[in-house]
Amino acid sequence: MDTPQQLAEVLTSLRVGNQSFLVQFYEQNRTLFARWARRQHQLEPVAAHELLRTVLVEFYDQVADGRLTMLPDNVRAYVYGLADEQVRAARTTARLPAHEDGRRQRLLALFRTLGLDCQKMLMYFYFRGYHFEKMAGKMGFANANVARMQKSACLRKLYELRLRAAA
Amino acid sequence: MPLPAPDLRPYLEELERFADGQLSAAEQEAFESRLETDPALYQAYQQYEQLTADLRWVAGHETLYQRLLALDQRLDQRQLALSRVRRRQRQQQQRWGMGVAAALLALLALWLLWRPVAPSAATEWARYYEPEAGLPDSVLRDNQRPLLAEAMRYYREGQYQPALQTLSRIPATAIGQDTLTYYHGIFLLSQDGPEQIQAAQPFLRRAATQPGSPLAGRARYHLGMAYWRNQQTSAARNTLRAVSNDVKNPYQQAARRVLRSGAMKD
Repeated sequence: MDTPQQLAEVLTSLRVGNQSFLVQFYEQNRTLFARWARRQHQLEPVAAHELLRTVLVEFYDQVADGRLTMLPDNVRAYVYGLADEQVRAARTTARLPAHEDGRRQRLLALFRTLGLDCQKMLMYFYFRGYHFEKMAGKMGFANANVARMQKSACLRKLYELRLRAAA
Repeated sequence: MPLPAPDLRPYLEELERFADGQLSAAEQEAFESRLETDPALYQAYQQYEQLTADLRWVAGHETLYQRLLALDQRLDQRQLALSRVRRRQRQQQQRWGMGVAAALLALLALWLLWRPVAPSAATEWARYYEPEAGLPDSVLRDNQRPLLAEAMRYYREGQYQPALQTLSRIPATAIGQDTLTYYHGIFLLSQDGPEQIQAAQPFLRRAATQPGSPLAGRARYHLGMAYWRNQQTSAARNTLRAVSNDVKNPYQQAARRVLRSGAMKD
């Protein structure tokens, strides 16, 4: 990622949900990052890997939310900085309004309580944008209609969980 | 204070069908008209839109999280497999190293067991030297020479020092000079010490050069052997060669045997 043109393309592709840049980044930097985290923060490799994953997801969220409008020139330094902040629990990046952030985080927590099939289907539909035929193929359903009904049931389940949590 | 959100459940299926493009043209038109006239439906629609927007965020977030987690596991497995391969290679190298070391040790042990051992000088000497038998008792009795008899007895018993002392007490007139000199050399040589062997040589040389003495040939053999024992190889070889060429010398065969054996090396 050298030229400003390339950096801009990364940002655009991240916004439309192409996460390959971050996945590649993780693959290429995991070991280096773990060494850095051990030296800087005395973290074991497993904890360092988890920190890097968290930071990359946070980075992705910043891009997706529009909080990060320009990709930093040095992505690695930026990610390391995020990790540093995370460890020191002193975030300086722009945050979402508290109520919005809280609502999403609560929904994320509820989402994780769903069954794996439900999680998968909702991710396929709402993030990857698969149509019902493709989803039926992926999930092994008889046809698109079954996929639509299953997705609908999962959404209802998530909504009901949210209602129950709010009560 | 925000108003409590209305329950979406009664509208959920319809909203979903609308949002997912599942309505027919007429149904869509009817739904859109109702949206404009039914405030409850409109509020439910707004809420549904927020829910699905949040869900899109959650799904994106979770997808990346899951992908990274899966990648992490793959990388861990790859690292584990690589370290396993490296460990196996190291073990194999160690096994090979140990095998080679064991083979070398075995070869060394075999060599130590089977290596050709050079016989020692003392062993070679004992193998080829034919000692002087000494004068027989019958001769000593006939000649009435008690001191000479006593010296011979000591000699045969292996007591060379007393034999030498007794021999020294014999007056020169009582026995031939060549006999005295010869046995003096023999008694010294028999003691088998480096100094005594060195000391024996002048006596044996003198006895060997006595013209007409019956002991000269025998003295030459013992002198040659004394040279060999003293590591004067070329002198020993020359002297013993002369003995081996002398048909009258009783030690001719003994001299030939030691010359042929190759034990006499420079």
